[in-house]
Amino acid sequence: MSDAQSNRPATTVELTIVTPEGVFFRLPLAGPASRLYAMLFDAVIVLGTVNGVGLLVYWIFAKVPGFGVMVITLAEFAIGFAYSALLEAFWNGQTIGKRLFHLRVIDQSGLPLRIEQAWVRNLMRVFDALPFAYLVGGMSLLSSPLMQRFGDRVAGTLVVRQTPLVAPGEESWTRQKYNSFMDYPIVAMKLRRAATPELASLIQDALRRRNELAPYARREIYRELATYLQTEISPFPDELVEMLSDEQYLINAAGVLFGDQRLARIRR
Amino acid sequence: MILDLERFQAQAKPRWNGLESLLGALEGRPDHRLSSAEAEQLQELYTQAAADLNRVTHGALAPELRQYLERLVARAYAELHYVPPTRSEIWQWRRWLRILTAFPEAFRRQSRYFALAVLVTALGCAMGGLAVRYDPASVDLLLPADYLRDPGKRVQEEEQGKNRHQSSAQTEAAFSAQLIKHNIEVALLAAALGVTFGIGTALLLFENGVLLGAVAVRYTQQGFGLFVAAWLLPHGVFEIPSILIAGQAGFYLARLLLRRREDRDVRESMREWLLLIAGLALMLTWAGIMEAFFSQHHEPELSYSFKVAVAGAELALLTVYLLVIGRTKTGAEAHAGIRSENT
Repeated sequence: MSDAQSNRPATTVELTIVTPEGVFFRLPLAGPASRLYAMLFDAVIVLGTVNGVGLLVYWIFAKVPGFGVMVITLAEFAIGFAYSALLEAFWNGQTIGKRLFHLRVIDQSGLPLRIEQAWVRNLMRVFDALPFAYLVGGMSLLSSPLMQRFGDRVAGTLVVRQTPLVAPGEESWTRQKYNSFMDYPIVAMKLRRAATPELASLIQDALRRRNELAPYARREIYRELATYLQTEISPFPDELVEMLSDEQYLINAAGVLFGDQRLARIRR
Repeated sequence: MILDLERFQAQAKPRWNGLESLLGALEGRPDHRLSSAEAEQLQELYTQAAADLNRVTHGALAPELRQYLERLVARAYAELHYVPPTRSEIWQWRRWLRILTAFPEAFRRQSRYFALAVLVTALGCAMGGLAVRYDPASVDLLLPADYLRDPGKRVQEEEQGKNRHQSSAQTEAAFSAQLIKHNIEVALLAAALGVTFGIGTALLLFENGVLLGAVAVRYTQQGFGLFVAAWLLPHGVFEIPSILIAGQAGFYLARLLLRRREDRDVRESMREWLLLIAGLALMLTWAGIMEAFFSQHHEPELSYSFKVAVAGAELALLTVYLLVIGRTKTGAEAHAGIRSENT
């Protein structure tokens, strides 16, 4: 049904879900650092709540402090376990800390987690927290292909990263108004036919990561790609190419390959 | 084929927006229930979004768009395949009270693991008892605390009330809460240690048994058998079985993890494990109250025979509860499809 992949990007472990209808989609798994931050944040909330409840109880039981201690001890214990279990069960697999750090607990099959799973994974913390500071849980998480602590393994749950859902905007390099390659529709069509998706992806990636590359590396990569396209795939006229920088050459090529509206002209 | 991304996005955007707003509306509803028209619409939009995702995955390198579509498809998939409990279902008190009958049913269904827990504890008891009986040198090792090594001194202190400096209902209440908390933590650990394929659970039960056997023999050897029975049994008749039930839950979990993945009914198994935990937590709450408010009172305040009689009555009630409650529903249980992990 599902398997873990660690192909791309290098720092993200992903789970690929295959639905009964044969649809594939990937879910990025949460790493140990973000889970730790969320847990610490939740711990602060629990401590704050417990202390708040404690003050209230002391005030109510001022004349019988022994019973006050009893209520506080039991409330602290119950809140410690119930906080995460109830929030995860009824609040879309998230605690306040998890929501803040864009994490979410889900079922291993990609569906929302069930109430039983939320309780099991949180009760299992008594084991994961051993011998101190979640050492057992941390080791389990780091050794698991699905980044699961023991509680997750037993409950069949995963913690995934959930960044805000925003439809991607237009890439800046696709917004150029004029693409000189379009003046040579036959060569442009040849480029479109001969370029493999991998090559097209490589060009797009190189342009997208323009600002991440060091100037020298950028110049070299763009030169190699442009030379390869010009000599091996689709030779545009020399008088045109001589006027273009390697970067502009690639922007034009990407415009041909990816969705330039004026492709309509080529088709005609 | 390389995808014309711009055109593709322009054409597909309205249906993605449609799917997003439908999902938003559904997720905002308390019961998440769909009308048949909505279900049809959701199914159609989901299929289209899945096809779009497939095209983007194979036709272009557009990580953001792919991620966006994956999220959209994942949300739609969850809505189509998962029916969350409604709020009214969650807040039905009768549902929660059902735990009181479901717990003994689960206990009986998984009785084989209880028997295993009893066996391991009994072995520990025998070892602890025999060691103290035949090897006096082992006393220091098995009973590290002074009060366990020297029963005479402890009995004298207890009977004079030296260990209850501020004996009052209030200190007893605070003490009982600490006991409840500690005992539930230990029991929960025994149940969770099932994840070590039951080895941790067995070791914990065995250690517990050794201590129990050693204390019982040590006190009986020195003629304080009645005292120790009256001291430990009023809460022990609930505390010891609940640790055994924790062991039962641990072994049950171990058996579940040893099953082949495809043979596991994880949902039902988790419910069963949780029922055992919920039941033992209730039992330990009672044990904590008894230990703080009743067990610590000795002669002349309370006669030992009375305390032992109370313990006997508690044990009888617990036995009836665990063995009889919910038994009339055996047929219904069988139909509910909850099977024992015995097979």
